Amino acid sequence: MADPYPPGQPNAAAERVIRIQDLHLSFGSNHVIRGFSLDLHRGENVMVLGRSGSGKSVLIKCIVRLLRPDSGRIEVLGQDMLALDQDALDHLRVKIGFLFQSSALYDSMTVQENLEFPLRRHWIATTPGEADALVGEVLAAVGLSETRNLYPSELSGGMKRRIGLARTLILKPEIVLYDEPTTGLDPITGKEIVELILDLQRRYNTSSIIISHDLHVAKLAANRIAVLHGGRNYLEGTYEELRRSEDELMKRFFVFM
Amino acid sequence: MAGKGESGFRAVLTEVGEIAEFTGRFFRNAFHPRFEWRELIRQCTVNGALTFPLVGITAFIMGLVLTVQSRPTLARFGAESMLPAMVAISMVREIAPVITALICAGKIGSSMGAELGSMRVTEQIDAMEVSGTNPFRYLAVTRIWSIILMLPVLVVLADGISIWASWIGVNLRDTVSWELFYRQVFDSLEYSDLIPAFIKSFFFGLAIGVVGCYKGFTTKKGTEGVGRSAHSAVVVASLLIFILDLLVVQITDLLGFT
Repeated sequence: MADPYPPGQPNAAAERVIRIQDLHLSFGSNHVIRGFSLDLHRGENVMVLGRSGSGKSVLIKCIVRLLRPDSGRIEVLGQDMLALDQDALDHLRVKIGFLFQSSALYDSMTVQENLEFPLRRHWIATTPGEADALVGEVLAAVGLSETRNLYPSELSGGMKRRIGLARTLILKPEIVLYDEPTTGLDPITGKEIVELILDLQRRYNTSSIIISHDLHVAKLAANRIAVLHGGRNYLEGTYEELRRSEDELMKRFFVFM
Repeated sequence: MAGKGESGFRAVLTEVGEIAEFTGRFFRNAFHPRFEWRELIRQCTVNGALTFPLVGITAFIMGLVLTVQSRPTLARFGAESMLPAMVAISMVREIAPVITALICAGKIGSSMGAELGSMRVTEQIDAMEVSGTNPFRYLAVTRIWSIILMLPVLVVLADGISIWASWIGVNLRDTVSWELFYRQVFDSLEYSDLIPAFIKSFFFGLAIGVVGCYKGFTTKKGTEGVGRSAHSAVVVASLLIFILDLLVVQITDLLGFT
């Protein structure tokens, strides 16, 4: 199947699924996000690149309202995230997948139970047979069909990330937010995770925001890159545009590439 | 030093305010139409059935010890026949509710603090939230309800076991039939003994559940924070149990339940 949105070609005509406008967030005197703005279009992979501690994870948590910004506007699938009541927010969150850096698997549940949990919560599978089939489908998609009865503590870092991805995708979200998907993994496993992300994006037709400082991820997965620096969207472009940029910060970022 | 004391006092006041806010949040969500029945039943099993052996053994020992230790004093005044009534009233009014609540604070409160704290620091609560499940309703409301509902049941069972143990204690020296002992116990007990004790056990349950869940939900600083949450859940809940007990005694005294 052809890539609906090949790298390097921002698709402004496609429907906008996320719009972030003039976002501000402080923790005490630490003004982390200072007027950040970004759009994500359907089928697009946007990567937010930034140094450690630049506020990337804070930004992604604002999008799903795990953190509430001080000011600004976040629109997801046409709805104002900051104005929704709890029930409407829970309803909208089903359409947004979130892969945590730590995978955040429920450690008292087996892989099967981890994957069934969101299905049972949202009445997506009403019979054990249906749930079993859906779990089998996503486990096959991430290549870990044999792990059903294992607990998270029995999985390697890469396997946890894959199961985290499977749990994210089992609800068939329209948007997926990835928080440092390759951090802490060896380069081979990291590349496998990126390939898996791209494969699943094609298969499930998702739009994604990927938070990372890993330029290999940027090169392989991002259609567009937004550089988060000083709390703002410092620079935006394709991987090649940023690599060729004369900006000092970009030169420092790409020094090993 | 004054500054340190002042900031400590402010931290205590802040925590009291946050626990009050957490309690308010519980009541706002406690009767939500989409109630987590399955999780409530699971929590009732964990918090009720699995705590019963510990409560039962403690109640048995308390009933037996109280009987054996009270007998010589009552015998000195020729009031040995008052032993069943004395043990029953002491256990039902005060000892069984408070001891059961303290056991539950130690076992259930600490496990709530540790389990939810561990889920908090490993982002499992955040993962639940972003998947569209309200973690407060799913994790906190069900746990708080389970202990509110199970504690009075455990108290009633502890009452029964301690009275039975008292009968065994009496029979270590004398021979008294269960029927006679039972009649003496129930002749001495009045509704004014039972009702306040039963009602206060609901409040003890609320205190244990709210503090355990609050500590778990607000855990910070990794594994060290998990340990601190478990420990402080027990300390704060135990303190609240004594404060509530004192308040209930004062209120029932004012209402004439003495």
